[in-house]
Amino acid sequence: MSEIKRIKVGTASCGLAAGAGAVLENFKRLAGDIPVAEVGCIGHCYCEPIVELELKDGTNIFYSSVKADDASVQAILALTENGRFTIPAERAAIEKLYVTRLAGRIDPKDIEEYKANGGFESLKKATAVTPAEVVEWVKKSGLRGRGGAGFSTGMKWSFLAAKTAEEKILICNADEGDPGAFMDRSMMESVPFQVLEGMLIGAYATGATKLFIYCRAEYPLAIKHLQIGIDAICKAGLNLLPGREKPLDIMIKEGAGAFVCGEETAMIASLEGQRGQPRFRPPFPTDKGWNGYPTAINNVETYANIPVVIADPDAFAALGTEKSTGTKIFALAGDLKNPGLAEVPMGVTLGDIVYKIGGAAPGSVKAVQTGGPSGGCIPADKFDVKMDYDSLKELGAIIGSGGLIVIGNDRCMVETARYFLDFTHRESCGKCTFCRVGTMRMFETLERIVAGKGQESDIDFLEDLGNKIKKGSLCALGQTAPGPALSTIRYFRHEYEAHVRDGYCPVNQCNALSDVALDPAKCVKCKLCIKNCPVGAISDDFKIDNSKCTRCNTCIDTCAKKAIARVKKGTGYDSTPGK
Amino acid sequence: MNPEFSYLSEVSAEKGNLIKGLQLIQEREGYVSDDGIKAAAAHFSLADAEVEGVLTFYAQFKRNKPGKYQISTCDGTACHIKGAPLIQEWLTTALGIKSGETTEDGLFSIETVACLGCCSLAPVMAINGRVYGKLDRKALLKIINEYKKQG
Amino acid sequence: MSEIKFILDGKTVTAAPGETIMQAARKAGVEIPGLCTNGKVSRTTSCFVCVVKDKKTGRFLPSCSACPAEGQEVESETAEVAEMRRTALGLLLSEHTGDCEAPCTMACPAHAKVEEYVRAGRKGDFKEALRIIKERIPLPMSIGRVCPRFCEKDCRKNITGKAVSINDFKRLAADLYYDEYMEDLPELNGKKVAVIGGGPAGLSASYYLRLQGYAPTIYERMPQAGGMLRYGIPQFRLPKEILDREIAHYLAMGIEINCNVELGKDITLEQLSADFDSVIVCVGSWSPSAMRIEGEEYAEQGIRWLEGLAHAKWTNCKNPGRTVVVGGGNTAMDCARNALRLGGDVTVVYRRTQNEMPAEQLEVHEAMEEGVKFEFLTAPLSLRKNVDGSLSLACQKMELGEPDASGRRSPVPVEGSDFTFEVDTVIAAIGQRTKAPAGIEADKRGNVAAARENLQVSGNIFAAGDCVSGPATVVEAVAGGRKAALAAIDFMEGREHVEAPLFNVSRGHWRSLCKEDLVYIRDNVSEDDRVQPEYISMEKRKTTFEELFPTIPAEKIQAEGERCIECSCTSKGECKLKKFSEKYAVKPDMFTGKKQIHAADTRHPYIIHDRMKCVKCGICVKTCGEIINKNLLAFMKRGFNTSVGTSFNQGFPSYCKDCGACINECPVGALDWREKK
Repeated sequence: MSEIKRIKVGTASCGLAAGAGAVLENFKRLAGDIPVAEVGCIGHCYCEPIVELELKDGTNIFYSSVKADDASVQAILALTENGRFTIPAERAAIEKLYVTRLAGRIDPKDIEEYKANGGFESLKKATAVTPAEVVEWVKKSGLRGRGGAGFSTGMKWSFLAAKTAEEKILICNADEGDPGAFMDRSMMESVPFQVLEGMLIGAYATGATKLFIYCRAEYPLAIKHLQIGIDAICKAGLNLLPGREKPLDIMIKEGAGAFVCGEETAMIASLEGQRGQPRFRPPFPTDKGWNGYPTAINNVETYANIPVVIADPDAFAALGTEKSTGTKIFALAGDLKNPGLAEVPMGVTLGDIVYKIGGAAPGSVKAVQTGGPSGGCIPADKFDVKMDYDSLKELGAIIGSGGLIVIGNDRCMVETARYFLDFTHRESCGKCTFCRVGTMRMFETLERIVAGKGQESDIDFLEDLGNKIKKGSLCALGQTAPGPALSTIRYFRHEYEAHVRDGYCPVNQCNALSDVALDPAKCVKCKLCIKNCPVGAISDDFKIDNSKCTRCNTCIDTCAKKAIARVKKGTGYDSTPGK
Repeated sequence: MNPEFSYLSEVSAEKGNLIKGLQLIQEREGYVSDDGIKAAAAHFSLADAEVEGVLTFYAQFKRNKPGKYQISTCDGTACHIKGAPLIQEWLTTALGIKSGETTEDGLFSIETVACLGCCSLAPVMAINGRVYGKLDRKALLKIINEYKKQG
Repeated sequence: MSEIKFILDGKTVTAAPGETIMQAARKAGVEIPGLCTNGKVSRTTSCFVCVVKDKKTGRFLPSCSACPAEGQEVESETAEVAEMRRTALGLLLSEHTGDCEAPCTMACPAHAKVEEYVRAGRKGDFKEALRIIKERIPLPMSIGRVCPRFCEKDCRKNITGKAVSINDFKRLAADLYYDEYMEDLPELNGKKVAVIGGGPAGLSASYYLRLQGYAPTIYERMPQAGGMLRYGIPQFRLPKEILDREIAHYLAMGIEINCNVELGKDITLEQLSADFDSVIVCVGSWSPSAMRIEGEEYAEQGIRWLEGLAHAKWTNCKNPGRTVVVGGGNTAMDCARNALRLGGDVTVVYRRTQNEMPAEQLEVHEAMEEGVKFEFLTAPLSLRKNVDGSLSLACQKMELGEPDASGRRSPVPVEGSDFTFEVDTVIAAIGQRTKAPAGIEADKRGNVAAARENLQVSGNIFAAGDCVSGPATVVEAVAGGRKAALAAIDFMEGREHVEAPLFNVSRGHWRSLCKEDLVYIRDNVSEDDRVQPEYISMEKRKTTFEELFPTIPAEKIQAEGERCIECSCTSKGECKLKKFSEKYAVKPDMFTGKKQIHAADTRHPYIIHDRMKCVKCGICVKTCGEIINKNLLAFMKRGFNTSVGTSFNQGFPSYCKDCGACINECPVGALDWREKK
């Protein structure tokens, strides 16, 4: 008799991409009569696939980076000591799991399991009081929108609640578009019922009659789980709120690939079947939204917070800082050991997140980009900043949706800014002049600089135009688009200057300004580089022809002795100088 | 309406469903042709130009017939700094097509997407929705060759 | 609901509920510029040219869409707001391509409306053509003959063949109607202007002064007016009977011309300045430059020699015999060809090659045709007079070295290459200099120092023409004369002289364009060869002073007009982008970068859709959708590549009613009728 009560395999997108599909299959095949469940993501994406064993004695064991072969699976079924995974104490001391408490721990498709873990208790509690009281609780909790702008959720709800209309609309913004942010996807995949419970409470509090979930089409699993959740909720009759005659209309609308649709007026336009172009506010959506009806929009993480808030608004308010209450889920990506999700109370320092949770080696990081393309970078010497709405704003960055891109020492900040402007200028809706043309002109200038064709005046040009785009754009996309360029100039001006003055990329990342060179002193002549070079740029006597080289870095990655490196153009050891 | 697109009647004809209707066409046909746009315009009682305007706004929609295997390379931030541009270059070298194009044999098409949400596995790509993570040149070519073998 | 009071630039302004800041400001007399709103269709809020600043929040609001709040303080006329508007306009201009003006007009120093007079000529209305020409060129008979045709060098027709023969339109129109044409002359207003010099600049200044009611008096040191036209340009290029007819019109206009009056001798600047309300100095550039060689005194000076011929009525002059003309400019060509006609055996000596010659290539060719010989890469060393009265001109061969300051490769002597011309006459035609009249400051090149912006010398004294620019062309002198006249008028009226800004967006020089870049607004633009003048016989050219060819007849010129592409913008008169860019002094190249590439859609029989001009204001889309209810136009794509298009890029469908509503509302002429107004 096995001691194992249940096997849980993390099959959220991150798990599946790491090979959880095969792991799941093999556990099902080899586990005999032990039930095998699919669960979501516990946030430790760096060590997927993750398998959790629920033991009959009530304890559980986690295994990380699980391999799908029979031997590995059987070893785990035999409770091997190898590959067991515990959350490092340093991390556990910082993380506080409220919103993500159930993520990756329960079957996301099973309403009963959600209920068994306290699900829908908050809905019950809320619907036992008047809608106005619920709005008061949310206000009291201090919850601010988790999508980026940080507007008080309670206030927004009170605006909508105050309206009388034939239909009132509540929208869940699940169009998570910031590259590098994936907490919303994870919540929808892992705890869809929690998100839906938050929406039901919102509908009750605001009097909304129609609920839309506007979700990116790139998240098929999230859509699938949400639809299962909606069906289950309707089947259970939870969509008929107390005191209502008609059940709520709950619909998933798939986005079609437009970052700007995260902006509320653009999202409404998109839901109306139009081009996703923002419009001038006022009128605000709570006055005139979807098809003219009063409309409020909150994002996925905000809704996921609601059951936590309702359970105990005072406790929620006590979490975090005075003006930024509760916890925040951050998505860690980039140059660090442990990419993944982490839920921490507001006000934890960025350094703690990067080093203690993310496992980045001290001294290896030069900056973190917060808030995705709309945000800004924070240099390593400012990592003692508290992660809350207002502290970040002071540094020229934003908390945004919570994506943290860790930028290692060997990344070029000009190239980083160029990348983000490339993104925003393509995602601009094309309506207003400053954003449509201005971001293009900034992008072109950054392209010139990384190509070694920049001029000293380009830096001032970027700052000047960037500040005007911030002031003169219609919506938040344009108003924040110059952020990555402006903040990198603010903190890493010397890197820009090196590019334009000396034709030198300080980290030798920019292809046009660097050569690849082989250090004969380190080389052991194993010829791996020669074999792997896709363009035959390395000769038999280990000379690199930089005019042939495409800077693909394959040789650098394959060299075990680290004998090959990027160097300033024309300064290689024995490299054949480039064109 | 063009009977080829009669399935559009699955979607109710209010304008708010236009994107859904176009998504349905793309799901069935793999892309949205001129005829698809005309059918959608007829179904939703809109002008052709209006439908085309909406369609071309959104990156998801394809106006050209994609390959049997649709490769989506992720150029999200994490993937980008982990070498997404190289993935695209290697793919272009291996298949002879650029992003937005389809190989002559109709087997592969490449598109670049903003973020697949698998940043922890960067760099990633997806082929017909299946995600491949932590790519390098070798792994990439191996995957492509396997699909080529399947034909 | 009650009215809303807010503060605009410090003044309290009232707005009705629902009224925007722009609407309320307009009622209060403050015009806020904007491109994307017309009050007829729903707001788009796209151009952001209409921004105003909310003083409290520091935010910039699009005034076309923002409604004022009670007590809100808004700034519209501050430098900071202007800077934001400039930036918005500059960004729009950086994605906007077209030709405000046709390149010919831009190339013309007088900015004559070439396309317009060519069109009038094409339609056979040469009187109208003359009227348009005379707006900028008051000497069309002369300029129609001697102009070096700056316009034709930039003509886009050069892409597919040869330039439109523009100058012949002037010549024909003037030949046909000059004598009978009379301007509407206003009553004289009592103010008088002295014009010193009766050459092109002085005549031009007088003309524009008289047109505005000022009484010019010309003082001319020579026996007859005309300046260089009479005493520099030879008879065979400009018959003096033609010039007489041209000047007769000035007298008919009541312009007083006093000949044989020389400044410094018969009159003084001081006195004129005191006696007249204003003085315009147009004394030309008449001092020959020296060759700086030994024996210089034995050479004729080109300009003086021509002047002598003019006095002698060209034909009654002695044969110069074996002649060497030194120099490569137009004066050298004129001397050589005159010498030839007088029976001389003429060689032109020039120290560089034919490519570097400042003379018009056409004139060089004509001179060669007529039998003038050329010794290129040859420089004179010394001149000696022999006992028999003949001359020995010692020369040296040269080769081209490094480019000098003018960009031309400078000649370097070849050692041991000396040789000698044995001749009867040497004419030095290596340039002229200005001699600034006494009491007038000269610049470092010796020209009259006049302010660049208004040609003012000092006080009520202005100057124009060659004496300001150094030796130049007639058309440049005419442009300068007009400018000085307008500046003097502003001075006399106590106004600041502000030149109308010359704002122009261009698709580029024809050398950078290809056939596909040409936008044909008209159908059936002729691709025939350029019209050719019928030269008189070579025998006559070599031996008489008859004009080289008669004026090309009207039917041929009309046909030539069919070759014109009509490059300028269909709505150059109404373009809001141009208007506001001029107002805010925005240059088209304030920002540069990628532009969208679209071929102009000329498939519709009446409507042209040139998307390269589009500023994405969306008014056409909304006009067709909201007012006409057709939705034939829509925004396509997004981001920088956003464009306005028709479905499947098929152009306007047959059920487009050609109602023109979109055209009427387009702020930039991206949509327009194919017939020019």
